[in-house]
Amino acid sequence: MSNKIGEVIESTTTGFIAEAYELYDLPPFGSLVKITDPSAEIYGIVCQAGTASIEPGRRPIARGKDEASEEAVYQTSPQLMKLLRSEFTVLVVGYARDEKIYQYLPPQPAHIHAFIHPCSPEEVKRFSRSFDFLGLLVTANAQVPAEELIAAVLREMSRVQDDPRAFLVTAGKSLTTLLGGDYQRLRAVLGRLRA
Amino acid sequence: MSLDLSRVVKQITEMVTRLKTGRRERLERINYAVDILRRQADKLDSLKKKIALSKTTWLVAEPEETLDRHVPAQDTPSDFAVIATDGSHIDVDRHHAAHCFLINIGAVVLRYGTSPDALLDSQPRVYFDDADLMIASPDGLREVSVEGNLLGVKRSVEECRRLAELAHELPSGSIALGLVDGSLILWNLEAYPEFVTETLLDKGYLTHLEKIHRLTKDKQIVVASYISFPRGTDVVNALCVALCPREFVDSDRCTTCVTRECSRISGVRDRDLFAGLLEPGERSALFISPSKIQKRYGKHVVYFFYLRLNGEIARVEVPRWVAEDKTRLDLVHTLVVDQCRRGQGYPVALSEAHEKAVVTGADRDNFWRMVDESLVEEHLPVTESEKSRSKRTRWI
Repeated sequence: MSNKIGEVIESTTTGFIAEAYELYDLPPFGSLVKITDPSAEIYGIVCQAGTASIEPGRRPIARGKDEASEEAVYQTSPQLMKLLRSEFTVLVVGYARDEKIYQYLPPQPAHIHAFIHPCSPEEVKRFSRSFDFLGLLVTANAQVPAEELIAAVLREMSRVQDDPRAFLVTAGKSLTTLLGGDYQRLRAVLGRLRA
Repeated sequence: MSLDLSRVVKQITEMVTRLKTGRRERLERINYAVDILRRQADKLDSLKKKIALSKTTWLVAEPEETLDRHVPAQDTPSDFAVIATDGSHIDVDRHHAAHCFLINIGAVVLRYGTSPDALLDSQPRVYFDDADLMIASPDGLREVSVEGNLLGVKRSVEECRRLAELAHELPSGSIALGLVDGSLILWNLEAYPEFVTETLLDKGYLTHLEKIHRLTKDKQIVVASYISFPRGTDVVNALCVALCPREFVDSDRCTTCVTRECSRISGVRDRDLFAGLLEPGERSALFISPSKIQKRYGKHVVYFFYLRLNGEIARVEVPRWVAEDKTRLDLVHTLVVDQCRRGQGYPVALSEAHEKAVVTGADRDNFWRMVDESLVEEHLPVTESEKSRSKRTRWI
């Protein structure tokens, strides 16, 4: 597959960190991505992304005071493209084996250097037939609030559905069960579903 | 126990007090030196003659242009590239079992203009063959081990080799500056026998410079070295010659000198002199570096000029084929100033090449550990000196 966008540089059972091949070419927050390991396809949700210096000890400095645009800053200092790197963090939400999708954690974590691909609309549709994965997101220890993340995931997924509204209604029902009596959290998610 | 800083602090205070008291006197010396330089400006020919006649133990720069010349930088071309290389090394460590050294060459190609781009790369190489570790005389009777200062020279040769490779890869018609850190003159070779100089300079450094020169047929390529915060006094020494009341200077007779005119500018460095003369972006007159080793450089004989940047005075060295061609010299001047502007005061290509080359203390430890582990894996003896072992395993 040639549409790979990055590769794994840190990996655990619950998630992985990936480096994007191109600076700033990051998958959207909340989007579904997948890794094709030799043994299984691992699915994950982009829960954090950012760009920073390639070396921890070297911080970027402001350079644009005399430049007309941000683009001009990069043209004046072409080395910046090689000294900065974009990374994204992915929460694992399931895996596929023998054509079957399981919405719980895989037996093995992803390999370092495994390639990451964005999921096609068909793959997103196929994965979002079940909402069991929401359980992993509700309890996930992500750096962003779970409500923000869940709402972003559902917005992203609803875009490829034949009936986005019906999709969101079904998702909302699943969430109601998942969040139990936590009305405040449910409201926080539902309030963020309007794209 | 580590350094006892409480005992050091008082001595630092004393040192600062000493520096403070000498400051006003130093400024007077600098002003006087600038004054002398201006007065000598129209006497270039007679000064050159006097320098040629003089016999000094100290190095005297030969002025090639009017002493007080100051030239502003030209406009930067719209499309150009800057290539820079820098190296660092892990020296031979006689306390370790394996006799080897490592040179890491960092290289940078920065393209500016319509399609800006950057290449940052490093090439480490471990040298372990006898032919690399030793330089032997042609008759095979003598050999010199490549370590310490000589490894530093070898590193400069490798930096120049990489510079030539990258210059070769530039498309024809390119406008480019090749930049290295430090001096183009391999001074340290003066302490070694003839056959060492022949190997590293004649058959090494100069052949790489020659390769770059040959590229000038279809590329507008120039080469220079950059010395930040230089300590040289060659130009001030030329002023000392000018000040001497005798017809020419003979160091042997200085002890009997009564007037001691030149002592009025002693302690002044070239960079102090040009800080008082140049405006930001301007270069000084061209000079030739006097040194025994320069006689071997031929068409690559090293000229230099001082350059005033916003933060400091730098010394830029160029080979003769650049110095004697106004277009090429202007290109070096312009692109070095441009690099310093982009690099917050220091050429950005050089600082990135350095970043790619740098070998840290931790890298050194890892390197030797890998060497030792590999020896163990192959069941080879890992004999380490007791001194090295005692440094690693500290005990009371």
